[in-house]
Amino acid sequence: MLFNSFSFGLFLPITLLLYWAVGFKRIKAQNFILLAASYFFYGLWDWRFLFLIIASSLVDYFAALAIKGTENANRQKMFLYGSIVWNLGVLFLFKYYNFFIDEFALLFNMQQGEYAFSTLNLILPVGLSFYTFQTMSYTIDVYKNRIAPTKNLLNFLGFVAFFPQLVAGPIEKASDLLPQFSKQRSFDTTQVKEGLRQILWGLFKKMVIADNAAYIVNMVYASPENYGSLSLLYASVLFFLQIYGDFSGYSDIAIGTAKLFGFKLSKNFNIPYLAKSVTEFWQRWHITLTRWFTDYVYFPIIQKNLRSNVRRNIAIFLTMGLIGLWHGADWTFLVFGIFQGFLIVLERIPLRNNRRSSFYYKPLKMKPLFPLFSALIITLSSILFRSQNINDAWLIVQRILSFIPSREIGILLNKYFLTFTVCMLIAEILTRRKDFPLSRIDRYTRSPIRWVIYYMLIFIIFQYAGFKEEFIYFQF
Amino acid sequence: MPDLKRSLSISSFNKAQRRFLKDCAVFFAPVIIVYCVLEILALQLPINYKIVGEYLDSHSDKIMLIGLGSSQVKCGFNPALSNVSAINLASSSQHHKEDFLILKGTIDRLPNLKYVLFEVSYMHLELPYHSKDYWKNNIYLKYYGVNTFERNTYFKDRLVYLSYPRFFSSKLKDYYLLSNKTNKSELNEYGFDTNNYYGTFQKLHYDPDQIKNQFFKIYTRENLDIFKSNTAYLYKMLDYMQAKKLKVIIGTMPLYKNYIKRRNPSVVRRRDSVLSVILKKYDNVVLLNKETDTVHFKIKDFLNENHLNPDGAKKFTALVNQKLDSLN
Repeated sequence: MLFNSFSFGLFLPITLLLYWAVGFKRIKAQNFILLAASYFFYGLWDWRFLFLIIASSLVDYFAALAIKGTENANRQKMFLYGSIVWNLGVLFLFKYYNFFIDEFALLFNMQQGEYAFSTLNLILPVGLSFYTFQTMSYTIDVYKNRIAPTKNLLNFLGFVAFFPQLVAGPIEKASDLLPQFSKQRSFDTTQVKEGLRQILWGLFKKMVIADNAAYIVNMVYASPENYGSLSLLYASVLFFLQIYGDFSGYSDIAIGTAKLFGFKLSKNFNIPYLAKSVTEFWQRWHITLTRWFTDYVYFPIIQKNLRSNVRRNIAIFLTMGLIGLWHGADWTFLVFGIFQGFLIVLERIPLRNNRRSSFYYKPLKMKPLFPLFSALIITLSSILFRSQNINDAWLIVQRILSFIPSREIGILLNKYFLTFTVCMLIAEILTRRKDFPLSRIDRYTRSPIRWVIYYMLIFIIFQYAGFKEEFIYFQF
Repeated sequence: MPDLKRSLSISSFNKAQRRFLKDCAVFFAPVIIVYCVLEILALQLPINYKIVGEYLDSHSDKIMLIGLGSSQVKCGFNPALSNVSAINLASSSQHHKEDFLILKGTIDRLPNLKYVLFEVSYMHLELPYHSKDYWKNNIYLKYYGVNTFERNTYFKDRLVYLSYPRFFSSKLKDYYLLSNKTNKSELNEYGFDTNNYYGTFQKLHYDPDQIKNQFFKIYTRENLDIFKSNTAYLYKMLDYMQAKKLKVIIGTMPLYKNYIKRRNPSVVRRRDSVLSVILKKYDNVVLLNKETDTVHFKIKDFLNENHLNPDGAKKFTALVNQKLDSLN
């Protein structure tokens, strides 16, 4: 079930009514409704993979209890590794197995049938990378004594399958989300209205910005050899806007939906296009993923020798490479990640002693241009992210740098889409200290004006939505 | 049980919740009312699909030929000029998958159906099928009574305006507000637009030099995986037509010389090899290959690089008639 679908429009109010109707004092009943709704939400996509979620949940639930149930350090380690092997094994099997088999065969120039392993006809379960990381972090945190394991199975199953963030995050830490399942949630009208406003804003970003951008991006990237430099650059900028609108829109809907049920989810985006460097970009983009990799990959590598620059740089490359690979089993994603790592390492090189400026920013000297410069770098590197393969990415970069005339640019420009995009960017920049532009709007506008704004947004969403596209991050 | 009943009734909500529900009802009521008005207005629109659907209902016992395919067949085949009673169910971006589902969904209503005209154009075998959320599924269901969703349908699937609000809003604007527009479509009783001249070529006054420099969209990217699955699907469709004892005319629609030049030769070669295999394998199939026919089709017959205007359609329909004669 997609957030921007009619069925979700029916599902959400029904679930919400049931949830609040049982009364806020009956936490167990509320959690049960949430869990049933979450499994229904996921099962509509493919009910068979419900077993996988339940299995993953149970493995980590019992692993965490087993870790705390023994004093023996070796046994604790064994349970932790068991959980990690299970989680990464499932992820590898569904997401990476075919890629590695194909690449292995290619490397040794082997035909099908010449090697013992053959590719599997498996589809990638939606949200696998998200919930696997969430459950894995729970077990690691229990092992590291950061949190105590929960004995309440219903709460734990709800934490893993919580439908607003099940399929595409935000990736929540158990210490943030799990306790919310045991607390009493009261119906706070202000919060609920805030949630609805955030959903509205998310739908606008997804359906008007991302889906319209997708139409142009798909057209250009389907046959880049037919387009000139400016068109390719324009399509690449649009891809950045598409993925931003798509994923941050999704996150807004997820966070807003959670608010309707009295839950608080982590912020996942913080106006990434204002980042002054690539390092800062990754602190503003998919924040929960970056946080996960920082906590569970980067810090464990550097903690043994905090002063070693070499170790730190290796850790950056490895972390960013894994972040790239997390997005999908393809060389484009791996190269994308490593390239981001390279840029971050480059930013860390001091020009002179005691100065922290990075050398490739030096020629610019003008601070206001930094966001533009980093946005350009991110846009160019996102070509790798969008291209079907490395050859395509290289072709696009080559064509952009060859200054091939773009007679066709006119057909790619859509005045409505561009107007709405500019409006979105202005609104977000002007309200950058808030979670989203409509946040707390009731504090400074009267009700009729507010309602006009809401109706206008609903009208724009209805009238100018692009063709329905799946959320990009569903494939990850 | 009474406790559960009570807990799930409106009385179980507290004052703040009831107030919030009331606010929601007041807020969403105008949205729902406006939507209902738009839906009703959209249903009144005399669009091509509606007229074709009405014709399908009223002439189902007479129809002998069914035209399927994308916008090229939609623009290129005028059933009014056909020698046999015909209907054109082709529409923009309609793929073989939709063609097949429409054929299967209408065949039982067409007792006299003998011929099928459908298209295997240049990129047909290497373009992916639409997703199950394709907006025209609602249209097919509403107007043709055909379920192309490949799942059980529910009331939302019959909502026309909601399927593609932007398209229907523009149609509503044209119909109700801009009734004096000069380039309006004029649909005949078969749903064919007899005033479909206002394309790029007319804008450029049919000037070959200007047309030569005009940018147009063409897919040149090869996709072998899609080719394999599409070809398999095409054979499935032909097997079905053979089993139903239908005579099939596979059409490749005329293209303007700019377009012909820009085609990817490998894609053309693959498509042509499939067509030659089909001709050998199926004795109920004939080919009407007009893709590179520059003898019959001149610049003034085109709407744009790959679509015919009504004059071109007249010529193409005449060629279909000739094929029909040869089949009998």
